[in-house]
Amino acid sequence: MTAPVFAPDPLVADAAERAFADLARSYYAQSAALRTEAREALLAAVERLGFSDALPAPDGRKSWAQAAPILRAQARAAAPIDMAWLLATGDRQGAIAYDPERYDARGGPLPEREESRLALALGRLQQIGAALESALELTLGYVRDRRQFGRALAQFQAIQHSLALGAEDVAATNAAADWALACAATEGLASARLPYLLDCAALVAGRAIERVRDVCHQAHGAIGFTREYALARYSLDLLRWRDSLFALRGGELACAERLGDRALVAKSLWRALTAAMNSGGTEG
Amino acid sequence: MRLRFPVCPLPPEAERLRAEVREFVAAELAAGLWKPGGDFSSHYDADFSRRLAARGWIGMTWPRRYGGAERSMLERFVVTEELLAAGAPVAAHWIADRQSGPLLLRYGTEAQRAEFLPAIARGEIFFSIGMSEPDAGSDLAAVRTRAARVAGGWSLTGRKVWTTFAHRNHYAIVLARTGDAQGDRHAGLSQFIVDLRAPGVEVRPIVNMAGAHEFNEVVFDRVFVPESRLVGEPGAGWAQVTSELAFERSGPERYLSSLRLAEAALACAGERPSARLREALGRMAAGLLALRAMSLAIAAQLAAGEMPNLEAALVKDLGNAFEREAVAVFRALASELSPPSAEFLAALAETTLYAPSWTLRGGTREILRGLIARGLGLR
Repeated sequence: MTAPVFAPDPLVADAAERAFADLARSYYAQSAALRTEAREALLAAVERLGFSDALPAPDGRKSWAQAAPILRAQARAAAPIDMAWLLATGDRQGAIAYDPERYDARGGPLPEREESRLALALGRLQQIGAALESALELTLGYVRDRRQFGRALAQFQAIQHSLALGAEDVAATNAAADWALACAATEGLASARLPYLLDCAALVAGRAIERVRDVCHQAHGAIGFTREYALARYSLDLLRWRDSLFALRGGELACAERLGDRALVAKSLWRALTAAMNSGGTEG
Repeated sequence: MRLRFPVCPLPPEAERLRAEVREFVAAELAAGLWKPGGDFSSHYDADFSRRLAARGWIGMTWPRRYGGAERSMLERFVVTEELLAAGAPVAAHWIADRQSGPLLLRYGTEAQRAEFLPAIARGEIFFSIGMSEPDAGSDLAAVRTRAARVAGGWSLTGRKVWTTFAHRNHYAIVLARTGDAQGDRHAGLSQFIVDLRAPGVEVRPIVNMAGAHEFNEVVFDRVFVPESRLVGEPGAGWAQVTSELAFERSGPERYLSSLRLAEAALACAGERPSARLREALGRMAAGLLALRAMSLAIAAQLAAGEMPNLEAALVKDLGNAFEREAVAVFRALASELSPPSAEFLAALAETTLYAPSWTLRGGTREILRGLIARGLGLR
């Protein structure tokens, strides 16, 4: 068996999971009036813990094995600090200069440097993959607990099947995101294959966000549509990160059309795809 | 929830093999030996299978002493996906190569392996799947075909349906009841290698909606099956059948059924392809990339001796939905082609007619989603 080329560092993953969960808990315990200051404190804590040092090197190599689990831990905890922005740009203030409970559909600011844009897109995909996973897990727990008509929601086949579909989309998003990340981790951000993999992963993620949000909110009923319940945080983060991801790639249609053009130039969708997924063997 | 799809890129030797397969396919097409089709289970050409065998591409992962080539699972992955992408007529050997051979390798006796595997690898004998029955479709454990012990072996009586190419293949692996269920309906089932030309076997055609004779009903009337044709342990049939599922459900045939349609559309896109066509091709590439990444991860897990049945169910359900959606997308784009070629229309007709079968064969959508839900801890 070929060893997976990219594997997140499990020690970093463990430490980051615990730390971000704690940080998020204390942040949300603050009253709304104090939250801007609380985000400053959160940033300082993240820096003290060394999580802001896992900055991908300029060529994008090596440190993704540490960066990916940090990004995922932040997304899973819904900790209100934009770790992808921080790791891709090094801009501290930008990482906390937003209200995590607001959404404006603008896709946020874009970094100036091309490498930072690529790194941010890769980071967004990891955040999205982790937030989708968390939203689905939250929903799985909810449908096991919540009873209607005398039985747990989990026992209704309609619920089972819609969550199965959700799991498919979550898995597809992470598979595509990890291929793009593995490419950057082994070949650097300048890899000629990376844009193709990023465009594919962005389209898969965009579609998954639509469908998984639908499944999770529907299974939760009204409670999932309240600000106090955790699904709202994942849901808002997913919207924000999707918009940012597509803004970084020039828009959703641009991603699709670029990929279509690659197929047309290669005179075969299959040949374009297999070439982009070929990490270095001879091209057929 | 733990679904594992680690990144498993193909090793350089597998990519080199891809180039060989493409050359082989190009030479076959140049010689006019077949026309690209669409579906892995419809285009049957025993001569093609034998030419493939001559290249060492059937049973290619098996040990050399059984006629295999000891190539890796990922190299086999490349051969299968390239043949499917080319629309090659792979139906004759497909089941024997994917499923029956590996089953015998895993559970068969030494004599069974020696008798059948080299012949499969030479492209000389082909297998059908003998699972479904009139009253046992998705509910496979309801099979009623029964094998009773007789001197020197078993006497098989019952009926199988949807037995693809039983009229052309040589053998079927038949799942039959050999003991009492005794409260556990998965107990008392066994698998047999059944000669489809043996006395007492009747193969009756069932023509499908596309007008093709692929399906059959196979009736067994006191068919004598020698003891030597029992596969594995009597009563262990259910465990053996479920061990094939990851092989059966995770491969590229579960998401490539409409690739030919997209490629045909691309080929008649004209000088200035419309934005809608470019978008559709791009979205198809994205879906394909995710499915291929997942399918590759499973191939690597199977190579490592794991049985990722849950992951395989997920790939199949997602893949079938993907390949079906593509048919609707490219049908709507027909008016943007300049003009739709004969090949595009043929691919559109075939995929349109066959699409209903994709979410049935190899495990229905409903069964797969139930399996995934169980994996998620919902049942």
